[in-house]
Amino acid sequence: MDLLNPYNLQVFTFILLNGILAISIYITLSTGQLSLGHAGFMSIGAFTASILSKQAEMPIFVAILIGGLAAGIIALLIGAPTLKLHGLYLAIATLGFGEVIRVIFLNLKVTNGALGLTGLKSIGNSLYDLEKAIGLQAQTLGISVVQMKSLTTMLFMVVLFAFVLFLTLRLNRSRLGRAFEAIKADETAARAMGLQVAYYKMLAFIIGSVLAGVCGGLYAHITTAITPDDFNYHKVVEILSFAVIGGSEVVWGPLFGALVLTSLPEVLRGLAEYKMLMYGLIMVGVMAFRPHGLIGTDTFQKLFRRRKGKTGNEAKEGM
Amino acid sequence: MFWQQLVNGLTVGSTYSLIALGYTLIFGVLGIVNMAHGQIFIFGSLVGLILMTSMQMPLGVAFLASIVISALLGLVLEFAALRPLRKKNVPHLASLISTIGFAIIVEEAMNKLFGADSRAFPQSFGGKAFDLGIIQIRLVDLIILGIALILMFVLHFWIQKTKMGKAIRATAENTDTASLLGINTNMVIIVTVMLASALGGVAGILIGMAYSALIPTMGMTLGFKGLAVLILGGVGSIPGAMVCGVLLGVIEVFTVAYGDSSYRDAVAFGLIIVILLLKPEGLFGRKA
Repeated sequence: MDLLNPYNLQVFTFILLNGILAISIYITLSTGQLSLGHAGFMSIGAFTASILSKQAEMPIFVAILIGGLAAGIIALLIGAPTLKLHGLYLAIATLGFGEVIRVIFLNLKVTNGALGLTGLKSIGNSLYDLEKAIGLQAQTLGISVVQMKSLTTMLFMVVLFAFVLFLTLRLNRSRLGRAFEAIKADETAARAMGLQVAYYKMLAFIIGSVLAGVCGGLYAHITTAITPDDFNYHKVVEILSFAVIGGSEVVWGPLFGALVLTSLPEVLRGLAEYKMLMYGLIMVGVMAFRPHGLIGTDTFQKLFRRRKGKTGNEAKEGM
Repeated sequence: MFWQQLVNGLTVGSTYSLIALGYTLIFGVLGIVNMAHGQIFIFGSLVGLILMTSMQMPLGVAFLASIVISALLGLVLEFAALRPLRKKNVPHLASLISTIGFAIIVEEAMNKLFGADSRAFPQSFGGKAFDLGIIQIRLVDLIILGIALILMFVLHFWIQKTKMGKAIRATAENTDTASLLGINTNMVIIVTVMLASALGGVAGILIGMAYSALIPTMGMTLGFKGLAVLILGGVGSIPGAMVCGVLLGVIEVFTVAYGDSSYRDAVAFGLIIVILLLKPEGLFGRKA
């Protein structure tokens, strides 16, 4: 059972986690806003959740949710003054915000400074306790306890990812999703149509930030150790690369980016050292040759058209 | 103590002003924020510093090397990351992303070429201090302040009075109209990007002198400070960049002196958030 070794399972888990992160930046980008604070929001989510689960002995999943909400509240405070301005201000303000958060966490007692928090409860352990309670033992499935824990963590992430993806797809078809799309296409026109542009932009920013915060909490309880420097500028670049390589027009773009960029350094070991360089080259290259990303709204239509020979529903939805 | 700190703040701040001017010039002409600015000029300054330490070149050569290398990197940036985006109708955030990408490439190149360690500046100059009663001013601080102020005045004069400066102002006003009026806007953009990077190159060496060391990661932190000054002063405002750079330097030094030194790097962005709450167009900006 090579596929089930804990290392591979962890890689899959991280692909899924990065998938959710990709969705979080996609939602913010879907109103045409660039937030460079996703690492900061992850950091808030991660540290809030960790402190709650470690010091306050809260159940992990409650702590992770509260972490996400904390990120959302901070996003509200940051977003309110900046969203009225040109998109550039949001990018720089959120970038600055991420750095401020990092410096604050590096100096706080409760986050243990640069050493960060270690020995956090892991999702695998808690889920395994649950499984034992309902009588599901690792031995009965013929795998080791470590494998079982990694496997349940991954399956949990699969379910969560599917849930978030489902919600995102629902969102895209909803009134809200159409409003986001209209704002991205042309803000002035959207305002002329009677849309509360600031409200929708704020909403997209907050949803993205909450998701990033939840991802932070998940990250903390998967790796069981976090430091403020896990969420630095390079993390921002990494998350942004997902959206850049895949494109941010449809949700599949960032997901494709997360899949490719997370698995590539694992598949090509030699590449791991040049990971950041690769991100840099991708950003410059994709922007120069295909600024809307590799996967656009028309990608699937073209594929389906070729396969079915007729446009049908796909074309209508693209309009 | 107070006056001494003020002088220190002015010295550091004047280098921030030079960095911020690089951002402002490029923003003025191209309407984009060059996220690779910090990394570009630190690369140049490191080359200058290495020439000085390992080849015993004089300070002047280090300045020259830093200016030339930074300007050349600016040129590469223009052709690799900026020009391709001007040709077609691309999303307005594309240039931000491609310059972030370029910054990462330069940063990684620095790590591979020079290593990530801090490099000390030779201590042969600037040790002498002048006693002016309430303050003592080091020779090196005087050099830094002097060079920074002279450069700012030259730049101001150059932009206001020369033909090239006029062309830059025209391009900043409206690229299409400028090009219709016979200005080679591509040339203007190249000159601006190289000039901005070269100013950074000077600032990088000056900062190396002030801190007596350079670290590759300074590209990012100093770049961020330049960005903070850009927002503080109002995006695209040249006097704003000059004044607010000095202001940021002074505030930072006082935070370290009277507050907590570990929050030094948070000051710049704390200020951004405050200014965005109170006066989002910046201290010297026009209403957006």
